[in-house]
Amino acid sequence: MPDAELPNLDDISKTVFCIPYNPPEEADGAEEQHRLHASAHEERDLENGEDLRFLAYKEAWKICLERMQRVIQELQKSSIRAVVDEVRSSYTNVLPGLPYEELPVVSVINPGLGSTFLEDISTQLENGQLSELSQNVECIVTHLYPGDLPNVSSGMRAIVSSFVEREDTQDRVNRKPSSSLANYDIKFLRAWYRARLKTSGSDNSSSLNLVVVLHEFEQLDPQVMQDIFYICSGSISALRLIFLISMSSSLNYLSANYPRATMSLLRVRSFTTPSGPEVLQEVLLKTFFDTHFEPFVMIGPALIEYLQDYFTRFHSSMDAILTILQIGHLKHFSSDPLTVLVRGTPSTDVLSKPGSFGFLRSLSARLAHALAVQDVELEGDVFHPLSNIPQVIENVNHARQIFYSRLRSLRLGFGIMICIQSFLEKEGYRGLEWSIAANKGVICDAMINLLKGHFTRDVKELVRYTRKLKQDELRSLLDRLHALFLYLPPRVRTEEKKSLDQLGRMKTSLEESNSRANASADISASLSEWVGQYLGEKLNLPEECDLWDIWYTGLAPFPSELLNPSIRASLMAGLLRPHDYVEDINGNVNTEPSQKNIWELPDTSILFKRYLDSGKMINVYDWFESFKDVLDSQRTHLKEPISPQKRVKSKVKSQVPDATEDDDKWDIEVQARFIRALHELDYLGFIKHTNRKADHLLRTIFDVNGAD
Amino acid sequence: MENIQCPIPGYENLADEFGTLISTYPPPFIYIQDTQALRTTLNAIDALLRDLSNLPASSTNPSKIYYSRVDCVASFTSRLFYEAVINTLVGWEPSWEDGCANWSAEGAVGGKWNESMDMFLHGLRAAASTCGSRIKSQSDYDVRFVIVVERAERLKESLPEIIVPLTRLSELSRIDLSVVFISQVGWEDIRPPLGASPDPYYIDIQAPSKESLYPHPLVQHSLTPLTPYHPALESLYSHFVTTLCDVCFPFTHDPNELQYITAARWPGFCKPLLDEHKRRQRKPENEDTDVDMDVDPEDEDREVLHDRGMDFLFQPSTDTRMRLNKLFNPTLSNALEALLPRLSNAADWAKKNEPPPDLLSLPPGQAHLGQSQASKDSSAAAEATSMRFLPRMSKFILLASFVASTNPAKSDIRIFGRGLDEKKRKRRRAAPKMSAKKKSAGPSKVSQRLLGPTSFPLDRMLAILGALLEENEAEWKLPSPQFTIPGEETDMDISRVGIYASVMELTSMRLLHRASPPDRLDGPPQFKCVISHDMALVLAKQLDVALNDLLWDPM
Repeated sequence: MPDAELPNLDDISKTVFCIPYNPPEEADGAEEQHRLHASAHEERDLENGEDLRFLAYKEAWKICLERMQRVIQELQKSSIRAVVDEVRSSYTNVLPGLPYEELPVVSVINPGLGSTFLEDISTQLENGQLSELSQNVECIVTHLYPGDLPNVSSGMRAIVSSFVEREDTQDRVNRKPSSSLANYDIKFLRAWYRARLKTSGSDNSSSLNLVVVLHEFEQLDPQVMQDIFYICSGSISALRLIFLISMSSSLNYLSANYPRATMSLLRVRSFTTPSGPEVLQEVLLKTFFDTHFEPFVMIGPALIEYLQDYFTRFHSSMDAILTILQIGHLKHFSSDPLTVLVRGTPSTDVLSKPGSFGFLRSLSARLAHALAVQDVELEGDVFHPLSNIPQVIENVNHARQIFYSRLRSLRLGFGIMICIQSFLEKEGYRGLEWSIAANKGVICDAMINLLKGHFTRDVKELVRYTRKLKQDELRSLLDRLHALFLYLPPRVRTEEKKSLDQLGRMKTSLEESNSRANASADISASLSEWVGQYLGEKLNLPEECDLWDIWYTGLAPFPSELLNPSIRASLMAGLLRPHDYVEDINGNVNTEPSQKNIWELPDTSILFKRYLDSGKMINVYDWFESFKDVLDSQRTHLKEPISPQKRVKSKVKSQVPDATEDDDKWDIEVQARFIRALHELDYLGFIKHTNRKADHLLRTIFDVNGAD
Repeated sequence: MENIQCPIPGYENLADEFGTLISTYPPPFIYIQDTQALRTTLNAIDALLRDLSNLPASSTNPSKIYYSRVDCVASFTSRLFYEAVINTLVGWEPSWEDGCANWSAEGAVGGKWNESMDMFLHGLRAAASTCGSRIKSQSDYDVRFVIVVERAERLKESLPEIIVPLTRLSELSRIDLSVVFISQVGWEDIRPPLGASPDPYYIDIQAPSKESLYPHPLVQHSLTPLTPYHPALESLYSHFVTTLCDVCFPFTHDPNELQYITAARWPGFCKPLLDEHKRRQRKPENEDTDVDMDVDPEDEDREVLHDRGMDFLFQPSTDTRMRLNKLFNPTLSNALEALLPRLSNAADWAKKNEPPPDLLSLPPGQAHLGQSQASKDSSAAAEATSMRFLPRMSKFILLASFVASTNPAKSDIRIFGRGLDEKKRKRRRAAPKMSAKKKSAGPSKVSQRLLGPTSFPLDRMLAILGALLEENEAEWKLPSPQFTIPGEETDMDISRVGIYASVMELTSMRLLHRASPPDRLDGPPQFKCVISHDMALVLAKQLDVALNDLLWDPM
């Protein structure tokens, strides 16, 4: 290596040296890397299966995400409306008789929905249509973040300049900065405001509100903010300022952290956005259990269960839902090559390529298995998959159709259950064990039970309830059910024509038999019979279809350790079994990883193993000696002719000293490696320095499971 | 001075003293201290000076007065301060079209008087000569400047270097000028060291008397719409205000606060009367007999008066007034409790506590105000609802932090230790053996809850969290068969990324307070729990944890 590339390690003027990584000359490092990326299902995947599945994933996730975002927007709509109205009418709707004008502050407590909420508000404020309540109030919105307001003068400068320097305002005038008002002076903003009002027409009917949106309000320094509030409140007679503050915590943050003197200048109105379990419930219901929407991939009960658990226990935010569902999708598409078939089947040309043979064979085996259950005669064909590609394609398409229609039925059946249950709750009955009331959040349990197949009792209950309905209850329930069928998407409605007719018939006969009492009993009997029969038909488990696991995540567990790992446990596992991380996670599920000898481990792991062997305090010299022992044995092992176990890391290999090297050099190397490993452990927090005993360190971790 | 009128009741003394001083021979430096109602005093002085400056100079007033008010909070730099003083003294309003230029003096100073104290003095002199030339055209009198520095205590932090020159401004600028400091704190707290400033002429504002506190008469609107501030209700209003001041006087002496509470309660108080009036107007000929209030002796006459737009007396009977008082008096203290600390704002409070319609038409037994009780614990309820949406783990973290902040660290092993071999498995399984009895605590120790939260290392909180989770969270978890050793799963749980993320999130929500600097790497970070005991109780109830059993000195 040329000297120029080596940093001068003796240069005392530098605190840090950068030693660039030089990959070893041998090319097998690259090969190894390639091996890691290869598909885990190589033998039964398409040639470019990974890419195709990624495309399929993108498509499936895109429509799922779009749907969820639309649901969230619907959820936010009413809160946005309320906030926008409040901001618009802040200066028109003032209680008379107050001793002085208060500075309007609208606080939005926004735990779950993320920043899109505020963006929607500001777009609505700036160019939304005007409502009757707030006629002719124009709003200019500006967004400020905690970094913009570190102290009073930069905070004021940020507020003033964010309005004054907008693109769409009137032409800038030449001003001499030194002999005119400072750009952090509220009077400067006042002058601008006056001019702006003058240009926009001075009729009294229209007015201009300046809205300052303060994001992450809790991050702002109360000392600074209380001065800014004071300064702004002094000018509100001439300047219609409104603060819209976004908080994530409770309502009383303001009164707890700001003095009364400041609070008495403000008129605080709080708005809470929808949050908590009902958001999750609404999103799941409208995305995966809505008859008007068909996701490409249906989530299974295991995923819903995890989602619910994570949402209620760890992180109640919209982002958590989206992340988990996205990871769920990703995992689904990465775990099985067959998922490439979610939307479409590859053409005959693709399938007849030699590279697709494995894929085709596994697919035909699956199909054959499915067919074998139904029909034994076809068995002869299946072992010649290449001969029968069109047949395979057709079978896949058929299976897809069947699966989606079954899922549709399931959704419809669930929709009917919800419809009846909500009706029963409205009428004051207890109904089923779960409730659709938003605040209970147990509808997720109902979804899980439905997908797990535990619904027979619920169906029986519903049949029992519908039989006992009184006449007017019966009528309104029939109306509801009829409306439900009537507003189905057209394609589904034609499929469900029969049920629609049947409900219609029941409705008309109920109306005709207005007076007779036992007629309604007959009708309720027939309704309950229809409910039982219909739900029995519709509620079928998705797992019963052929190839169901392509479109349905089923009971596949969610990889929760990816999202919420235990830091300590993963750190330990990494140190104790470093090779498990290097090798492909999917690859050796079946094969038990072979136990590595201690000399095969990286230095830090070796040192860590020795650390675990010691007592409460570690004598550094003993530690070094034991480390050196291991390295010595590593050295002798590596000097031996290449053994099958030679797949140890290239790093270790590069450090193999030549036989001609003298022992001094080796000792220095060992020492260097020891110090480096020691520092790494120190950095990870395993060592506590103590002055109690010379040359000793204190352990911080004890009782490690599986340390052997 | 015969023509100085007191602008605000209760300020007669000030008006006399200050007005006489300013208009005759003002001391160069006046210090006004008001501890109770600064805002009102500022208004009073402003009104006084406005009156004085509007007076033409005469033989009794030898000088024409120009004044300017500077708020020291708003003028946080010296430049803002100078600009505020001189622009107002000369009556200059910067306009956007001119690029917001400051007033510019003739001569060498130009517009640069905002740069330093020295230039400012030149500017002042230039301003004086400008103002002088304005009035010289009419008469021979002089110009006198009065500079009112409001909230002067802030100068000490923001602009300490200009205090001394300000107090000597008159001698430095060599013009007729008086500087008035107004502050809530005393001069001795602001005074620069080493006697650099001359002693001021002190004026202390007395605490206002109860009578002078009565909020001012109604805001006059036009007569046609019957609003709560209709002149006809004036006499009832003054009765109401007397009652309200009786209730509130022990708690606040600030007229603004009283006015604020009045504004919130008055519309509700007179609403029954207005409702009644409207009800009668709807059926004017139907003179019913059960007159709850003999409001209108001659209905027709009143209508005529009304139509003419003239004032009429809308005098409810003593009976009605007493009935209203009886109904509304309890709500006055509620209003005080909610509005004085600004737990709610006046408009919202008024809306929430609006009496039901047609209250007076109901028989006396049935007429009552529903929400009088509800408003009391509304803040606690609001707190509870806002807490409800925290994820369970965050609630547990808050609870564990509360316990860690209140209990002494020594007590943890006694409260959370389980089983016999406490050294080895401190907090594992076994039934709760909570009742850690206090052992004759030393000489009357002050409860930690009164001393405020102590800070705790993160590790300790996590250990307590583990103990809490182990005992209370078992049935909420998803089953996880891979964990076999008791407590193993909790051990995993408390070191998850989600926990650390929640701690940071709670810190950013200011429910936890990070006591150690964020850039310190060695050692666990220290936190403090800043939720109140009530909030902790609410959380514990939501989580079904017996909090009192976990506290070292339960209430």
